Amino acid sequence: MKLELLHQPDSAIAKVHMDPQEELQAEAGAMVAMSSDINVSTTLRKGKGGGVLGGLKRMVAGESLFISVFRSGNSAAELYIAPKLMGDILPYTLSGTELVIQSTSYLASTPGVQVDLGFTGFKSFLSGESVFWLTANGSGLVILNAFGSIYEIDVDGDYVVDTGHIVAFERTLDYDITKVNKSWAGAFFSGEGFVCQFRGRGKVFCQTHNPGAFGRKIGGKLPPR
Amino acid sequence: MKYDIRYKPSFATLFLTLQPGEQIFAEAGAMASMSGKLSMDTAFFGGLIPGLLKSFLGGESLFLNEFSNKTQNPQEIVLTQSSVGDITQIQLNGREICLQPGAYIAHTKGTKVQLQWAGFASWFAGEGLFKLKLSGNGMVFFGAYGGLSTVDVQDSFVVDNGHLVAYEPSIKMNVGLSGGMVGSLTSGEGFINRLEGRGKVYLQSRSVDGLVRFLRPKLR
Repeated sequence: MKLELLHQPDSAIAKVHMDPQEELQAEAGAMVAMSSDINVSTTLRKGKGGGVLGGLKRMVAGESLFISVFRSGNSAAELYIAPKLMGDILPYTLSGTELVIQSTSYLASTPGVQVDLGFTGFKSFLSGESVFWLTANGSGLVILNAFGSIYEIDVDGDYVVDTGHIVAFERTLDYDITKVNKSWAGAFFSGEGFVCQFRGRGKVFCQTHNPGAFGRKIGGKLPPR
Repeated sequence: MKYDIRYKPSFATLFLTLQPGEQIFAEAGAMASMSGKLSMDTAFFGGLIPGLLKSFLGGESLFLNEFSNKTQNPQEIVLTQSSVGDITQIQLNGREICLQPGAYIAHTKGTKVQLQWAGFASWFAGEGLFKLKLSGNGMVFFGAYGGLSTVDVQDSFVVDNGHLVAYEPSIKMNVGLSGGMVGSLTSGEGFINRLEGRGKVYLQSRSVDGLVRFLRPKLR
């Protein structure tokens, strides 16, 4: 399998060159185009928070219940996958390590990678938005997407990221979901509701823009449904 | 203070390095990520009363966050805006700049932030009763939805209200309909702004209202 990224960073799309009998799983709805002999099947995401009940929970959070599995036939094939929002795509290679992914940042992964809804994260009562985490482990490739560009921070010590700007982070890091202000009133008024406080060593991938903030900016001007 | 605006123009993001003892003031929600060693405080925008008035009548965030480096080493912070687009900065050096709602991102020490009465015409055009005026000797960072263009207005100039980002206060604004009531409604130009005077104007290449007008009929 060979991965080619086109139109980075604002309109990134992943062109996947598949060898015969290869497999790739992707977020449902991510397929843009593909060779006609690729076989597509749909499954429910496994793990804690997977299955029907977990699926319903994710639907409430605006997440897809299903993932698509693409399998090439007896000849090489091409598959184009893209996220919904404008922004960049980042490939990350797992080799026995663990990566925590913000669920909306997951685009695709190769079969050697197990992607589980490890824990359901939390619902921010300040912004009313839920943050769901996926954990990816095993070995292979994970393809991530972002709203905006992606910048990488090599954490060594203490680092703080707004929850809306997290794409993924290495599990070697310790983390706490906390408020950046000492007081609750400050946390409420600062607009920086909850942040993720990282400690230790490892990489954090951040997106330059917050999809929730952009959604509220536009959504606030639209008539209620 | 060292700064770098990266990912211009579509995803412009401000990367700042604060030296020991330095601070930056930023709009609520602008912080994307930062060193865990920086301290953050939240304050009212221009005092309590104007802050409240602004919240009710201007429609922008009430609060401002102050990030300060109380350590002995340089620390990094990343600031951004909610819309996708470009970011620019101006060193005031005694100059003044007025920002339209949503444009403000951050300012450095030495900048005076004031809320000024913008008038009912501005309110009718959906721009709020108050405007943000920054003066002093600091640096101001602001952003746009889309790309940023600057125009040196010599005498008079007409801009669509939704595309105006910032202007020097030497320019007088006159918000009005573009060509009478019927003309305005049919041309889709809505409110236009007749600028008079001499000074610099910053325009954005897209308008949030334009996106909203596109999406509105598609909602069901």
